[in-house]
Amino acid sequence: MIYLDNAATSFPKPPAVAESIVDFLEHSAGNPGRSGHALAIAAQAVVAATRSQLAALFGVPDPARIVFALNATDALNTALWGLLRPGDRVVTTSIEHNAVARPLHAMAERGIEVTRVACAADGTLNLDDLDRALRSGPVRLVAMCHASNVCGTILPVREAAQRAHEHGALFLLDAAQTAGVLLIDVIEMGIDLLAFPGHKALLGPTGTGGLYVGPSVRLTPMRQGGTGTRSAEEQQPDELPEALEAGTPNTVGIAGLGAALGYLQQRGQPAIRAHEVALTTRLIDGLMDIPGLRIHGTGDPARQVATVSVSLEGWEPVDVAAALDSSFGIAVRSGLHCAPLAHRTLGTFPRGTVRLSPGCFTTDDDVDQALAALRKLARTAA
Amino acid sequence: MKRREQATSEAAERDRYSRQSRFWAIGPAGQERLRAGRVLVIGCGALGSVAVNLLARAGVGQITVVDRDFVELSNLQRQLLFDEADAAAGTPKAIAAARAVARINSEVEVRPFVADVTPINVEQFVARADVVLDGTDNFETRYLVNDACVKLGIPWVYGGAIGSTGMSMTIVPGETACFRCLFPTPPPVGAMETCDTAGVLAASVVTVAAIECAEVMKLLVGDRTSLSRGLTAFDVWTNDHLQADGKLRDPDCPCCGQRRFEYLDALVTSRTASLCGRDAVQVSPGQPLKLDLADLVRKLEATGPVTSNDYLVRCLVDRHEITIFADGRAIIKGTTDLAVARSLYARYVGT
Repeated sequence: MIYLDNAATSFPKPPAVAESIVDFLEHSAGNPGRSGHALAIAAQAVVAATRSQLAALFGVPDPARIVFALNATDALNTALWGLLRPGDRVVTTSIEHNAVARPLHAMAERGIEVTRVACAADGTLNLDDLDRALRSGPVRLVAMCHASNVCGTILPVREAAQRAHEHGALFLLDAAQTAGVLLIDVIEMGIDLLAFPGHKALLGPTGTGGLYVGPSVRLTPMRQGGTGTRSAEEQQPDELPEALEAGTPNTVGIAGLGAALGYLQQRGQPAIRAHEVALTTRLIDGLMDIPGLRIHGTGDPARQVATVSVSLEGWEPVDVAAALDSSFGIAVRSGLHCAPLAHRTLGTFPRGTVRLSPGCFTTDDDVDQALAALRKLARTAA
Repeated sequence: MKRREQATSEAAERDRYSRQSRFWAIGPAGQERLRAGRVLVIGCGALGSVAVNLLARAGVGQITVVDRDFVELSNLQRQLLFDEADAAAGTPKAIAAARAVARINSEVEVRPFVADVTPINVEQFVARADVVLDGTDNFETRYLVNDACVKLGIPWVYGGAIGSTGMSMTIVPGETACFRCLFPTPPPVGAMETCDTAGVLAASVVTVAAIECAEVMKLLVGDRTSLSRGLTAFDVWTNDHLQADGKLRDPDCPCCGQRRFEYLDALVTSRTASLCGRDAVQVSPGQPLKLDLADLVRKLEATGPVTSNDYLVRCLVDRHEITIFADGRAIIKGTTDLAVARSLYARYVGT
């Protein structure tokens, strides 16, 4: 099988991920921070080490400001519900994933004003449009993705964060498609809240992810419960990470994520980005030669991550994906990619697109085979 | 007064079932056993609706009907419990069956379930039955029912009809061969004709359902020595009739021999997935396979317009567009209901 669905979740994982999970379950699977015995301490050490690795990856000085979450969606909900109150205004974009769009929709019904800045049909964001939205009234938060999960277009994070701060707003970044592949430095880029999944480009198992909470942000916990600290008090503790980590964490997954981060560090994020830019270039160059095939997005590998959305004339995206899988063993994702807003922006709603997303283990040959298969389909009327 | 009412109702009951209880193998005691009996009818299409009709008239006390489909006009030719009003309203078959039985015999309790029988719910249904009657239209569900019945030790009666032919077999776990002893592996997906592709005569359906009901009645009244042994098969058009000897149990049978319930454990059943953002469901076969698309085109051409290319075959069935791919998966557009998609897959691709 050729796996081109890394935007959904990365596959395969580095072998060390499964090994560390097995090792953790066999030797360290106590409840971290809850007891003084050897297993609890071993688990605590694994959780702390992974937290430190994440902090180092994102340029976070204090690892305690990284809280673990189930995935990016969970982290985004913790951030949005924990921060925004009725009367607040949030500015966002028109290419967001439902992980941002749906919480904001729910909050709009509870008295939070949502201003959505329209992106262009290639997914790019015009900073003047953002400025206009920011100037139209007080803003509590700017929330946007780092790169579109549909067409891969990278948004100008630094500039957007700077503008948010100029208007007294905080900046929340959804790094679902970028964490692990694009360099992210929360301080240098001005990120106040960073939501990231562990199971995509960070190469960890599903059920992992996290949220960075900047020093100028105070989130009200959505969940209260055991933290292993201040147990005598009924009130949820204020300290991070405990305040936002009620309940036993996914230690098994976190152990796997730690191993994945080790692999990332060893191979080097810039090397992975370079590999993916090369694959994207090869893919886009090949796609451009296929008659009847349309690429959505910028078509510029330097301005996007390795997520490429296409339409094929005469074919429904859902049938292209099924034909690629059934006749060629190529796994891609078709449809709306949980981002109907983005597809409206790209003009591909409601049929959606076919999304090909190579990853750090994809080879040139994988890309060539996908191109050959698409060429065959393009020659065949559906 | 009270005693007199009771006496009157008993007399009425005697009258209602008089011709049946006068039959030597039933008698008043047998009739009472039928009244206390609980039958599960899985699938209420042609076989199921005829069976429910007969069982209700026979005075079986409780009939549970599970079916995922809705009545359509093309059903009325053979599904004797339903009428034009049901088809016009698109009433769920289980509900239409319950309403019809209420008019036929109000003493019978019908428990209708509009549901797909799946590895998750089949045991709950089977566990509450004395006998299970097969009214399904696909092999996959039969293997599942066989797994559940063998596991729980509940007898079931297999029945199937297509064209002018019919088949039936009574399976008593621990005594007779089970369905999987007889058919160790399912026919390849897409290889078998279905009633929707090859057609079916009401006469063959009604004959099979009648045989199934007679077997159910034998089981309920406790006359096991009279049960049909082995496979009964016939063709009402060519007048062939076959009564295969009772096949011995296969000690290596994965189901009743080794008690590995692969269908119940959902190891080999087809899988459904709704497709993100589309009014469509994907149904995949449980095992990897390679379909002969050209053969499938020939089969489906009887049902209506079919288009195809090297990678897919597409047909239109009412509001649904079914696209079948080389590995046996199908994308069914026009529904988000997994049960509807499974049903269409069973009817047009065949499981």
